[in-house]
Amino acid sequence: MRGLFHVTPSGWSGLGFAAFVILLVPELAGSYWLSVFTSAACFTLAIAGVAFLYARLGLVSLTQVGLMGVGGWVMLRLNHGTDLPFEVNLVLSALATMVFGWILALPALRLRGLYLALVTLMAAGGLEIVFATFQFPNGGEGFWGVTIGSSEPFRRPALAQSPEAYLRYVAICALLGFLLIELHRRLQPGRAWAMIRRSEAAAMAAGVNVTLYKTWAFGICGLLGGAAGALLAGSLGLLDDGTFRASESVMVFALAVVGGARYWQGAVIAAALYKILPPLLSTWGVDADLAFVIFGAGLLHAVITAPDGIAGQLRGAIVARFARKERADA
Amino acid sequence: MKPDLKQLGAAAVAVLALGSPAFAAAECGANTGEPATGEPIFVGGIHGNAAPGDWTSSTDSAAAYFACVNANGGIHGRPIEYLVENDQWNPEAAAQAAARLVNDTDTVAMVGNGSFIEMAVNAGTYEAADIMVMASACAISECFETPNLVSTNQGPLPSNLGAAQYAQEELGAEHIACMGLNIPNNGIWSCNAVAEFMESRGGQSTPVLINPGAPDVNSALLEALASGADTILINQPAGIALAILSAAEEQDLRDMFNWIAPTPLYDLSVPDQLGSYWHGHVFVNAELAPLNLEGPDALNWVAVLDEFGNEDDPRDTFGQAGYLSARFFVKAMLEMDPADVGDRAKVSEAIRGISGYTSDLMCGPYYVGDADFHMPNHAGYMVQIVEGGFEIVRDCYEYDSPYFERHIAIETELGLR
Repeated sequence: MRGLFHVTPSGWSGLGFAAFVILLVPELAGSYWLSVFTSAACFTLAIAGVAFLYARLGLVSLTQVGLMGVGGWVMLRLNHGTDLPFEVNLVLSALATMVFGWILALPALRLRGLYLALVTLMAAGGLEIVFATFQFPNGGEGFWGVTIGSSEPFRRPALAQSPEAYLRYVAICALLGFLLIELHRRLQPGRAWAMIRRSEAAAMAAGVNVTLYKTWAFGICGLLGGAAGALLAGSLGLLDDGTFRASESVMVFALAVVGGARYWQGAVIAAALYKILPPLLSTWGVDADLAFVIFGAGLLHAVITAPDGIAGQLRGAIVARFARKERADA
Repeated sequence: MKPDLKQLGAAAVAVLALGSPAFAAAECGANTGEPATGEPIFVGGIHGNAAPGDWTSSTDSAAAYFACVNANGGIHGRPIEYLVENDQWNPEAAAQAAARLVNDTDTVAMVGNGSFIEMAVNAGTYEAADIMVMASACAISECFETPNLVSTNQGPLPSNLGAAQYAQEELGAEHIACMGLNIPNNGIWSCNAVAEFMESRGGQSTPVLINPGAPDVNSALLEALASGADTILINQPAGIALAILSAAEEQDLRDMFNWIAPTPLYDLSVPDQLGSYWHGHVFVNAELAPLNLEGPDALNWVAVLDEFGNEDDPRDTFGQAGYLSARFFVKAMLEMDPADVGDRAKVSEAIRGISGYTSDLMCGPYYVGDADFHMPNHAGYMVQIVEGGFEIVRDCYEYDSPYFERHIAIETELGLR
C-alpha cells in the first residue's frame, strides 16, 4: 500500500509542472495564449489516453480524436438538454465515451498491430461521417439536438467562468487523468497489462483475463478522450465536425510517439507540438503549416533514433548528467 | 513614317483608360491628402481562409480602404492600424483570433469580418467585451441574430430568398432543390427559409445537403435530380458551386432545370471559368451593386483597390462589402468627438447610432441600431451569367419574406422607410 502513494522524482516533477500550469500560467498569459493553452491542456488529456494504450499494451488506436468528438457530443447534448451541473455532464460524457471505447474494443480485441490500427482508423472515419452528417448538438430538440440557425448559449462550470479559471479547471482535470493512469499502473491492471504486453499467451497461462484487461485499457483510453472532448466543448461552447477528422487521430498518435508514449512529459510535449507550436510560428510571422514539416521530421527522428520519444531522450540526458555528477563526486 | 497600328491601339487604350472614371483618384475619409501621423487606432478583422473556401476579399478591401484613409488624414489625424487574423475554418483558431484581437489588443471595433465559423464561436466574446463588429462576408445566422454583429452583406438567407423569389416570379419555378452546406446555421438555415418562401407561394423546396469537408457533388446532383425539382439553387461557396456546375455539364443537365445561385457565384472570374455551355443559363443574386455599375462608391472602391490594395485582391461582392463596412465605420468615427475615437465603449455607441447611411452599392440605407438582431441589407439585384461577365436581369428589389418583418419594423421606427 505504501508503494501506491510513493511519489517518484518524475511524479514530483509532474506535480510541480501541474502547479505551475494551475497557479502561474493563467496569471501570466494573455487572452490569446489562455485560449491556446486551454486547447493544449484538453489535447494533453486525450494524448495521455492514446499514449497509455500504446505504452502499456502496445496497441495502436487511431480513433482518439473521434472519441474526443463522442465526448464533446455527449457534453453538448447534456448541456443543452438538461440542467445538470457541468461536472456531472463531464463525468457522464467521459463514461459514455468509455462505453463507446469498450464497444469499439470488443471486435478489435483479437487484432493487433497493423490490423488493429486499421480497424480503429476506420472507426475514426465512420465517426467523422456521423459528425459531418448529423452535426453537433447546439440546443435543438430530439436525439441529435440540432437547432436550425443560431446555437443556444453553453453553460460553463460555475467554478470556471473566466478563461483563466477554465484553464485551471482543465489543467486539474488533466492532472486527475494522469493520476488515474498512474493508479492503474501501480495496481493489478498495470501488472496484467505488463504481462500481456510481453506475451498474451504467457499472460493467459498465468491466469490473466486478457479480454477483460484489454477492454479495460480501451475503456480508460475512451474515458480520457471523452473527458478531453467534453472539456474542449466547454472551452468553445460549440464544436465543429472539422475538428474531429480521422486524419487528426493519426496526427495525435504520431505526436504521442514523437513526444514519448511511456512518460507523462511525452503527452505534454505532443500536445505542445500539436496545439502550441502552430500559433507560436504564426506569432513569429512564420507560416503555421511549417509545423507539419516539423512533425514529420520529429516522427522520423523518433522512429530512427528515439523509440522513447523526446521525453525519453530528455530523461536519458538528465539521468546521464546526474550519473556523471555522482561519479565525479565519488 | 507610318504610325504603327499596335502603338496607336495601345495609345488609344491608355487614353481611354486614363479618361475612364475607374482610374479616378481614390477618395477616403477626410480626404486631406496628408498622411495621418498620430497615435494609431486599432481595428480588428477576422477572415476564414482554408479549405473549403477563401473569405479574404472583405478584409482585403477593408485594408485597402484603411490604407487610403491613413494617407488622407486618418481619423482626426490618427491612423488606423488594421489587424487581421485567419480563423482557418476552425473553431479553436476562431476563438484564439478573437481573444487576441478583442481581449489582448485595444481594438475599438472589428471591421470587414468574413467567415463561416468565427461569428458562431465569438458572438458571446463580442457581447462580453462590448465591441461592435461591422462584418462584410457573413455566412451564418449568428451574424444576423446577435446584438454586436452587423453586416453589409446579406448572408445566405436573404440572398437565396432573392434568387428563389426571382425564379418563382420570372422562371416559373415550382419546386426548388436547395443545394446547401450541411451546416445548421448556414445551409440548413437558409434552405429552410427558401422552403417556407416556396410554400407561401404554393410551391415547394427540397433541401439537398453537402458535407463541406468532403463535398460529393455528383451524389448531390443525383439527389436533386431524384427530388423532381424544376430549379436548382446552388447555395454554396464559389468553389463548390463551380464543381457542381462542372459535374452538371458533364451529365448535360443544363436544360433540365432552371439554375439559380446566391451571391458567392457573383465573381468576375466565374463566367470564363464556366465556359459558353452555361452562358445565359445561370441566374445569380447580387447582394450589392453589380460590378459593371458606375456609381461613386463602385468606382471609388475600384480606385482604392488599384491604388492601395494588392493586384490580386478579388473584385467581388464581398470585396465591395468590405469596402462599405470600412467606409461606414470611418464615417461614423469622423462624426465622433476626436477625444473619443480611441474609446471602445464610445465607438460601439457611435456604431449603434449609425442610421441612414447610403451608398450606390446598396439598394437600401445602412443602419445599425440597438437591437438583438441586425440585417440592414435585404434587397438586391439579379444578374445572368453571360459571355465575358454578367447582365442585370432585375434591378434593385426587396425580398418578400415574413423573416424581414422585424427588420422592417425597426427601419420604420428609424424613419428609413
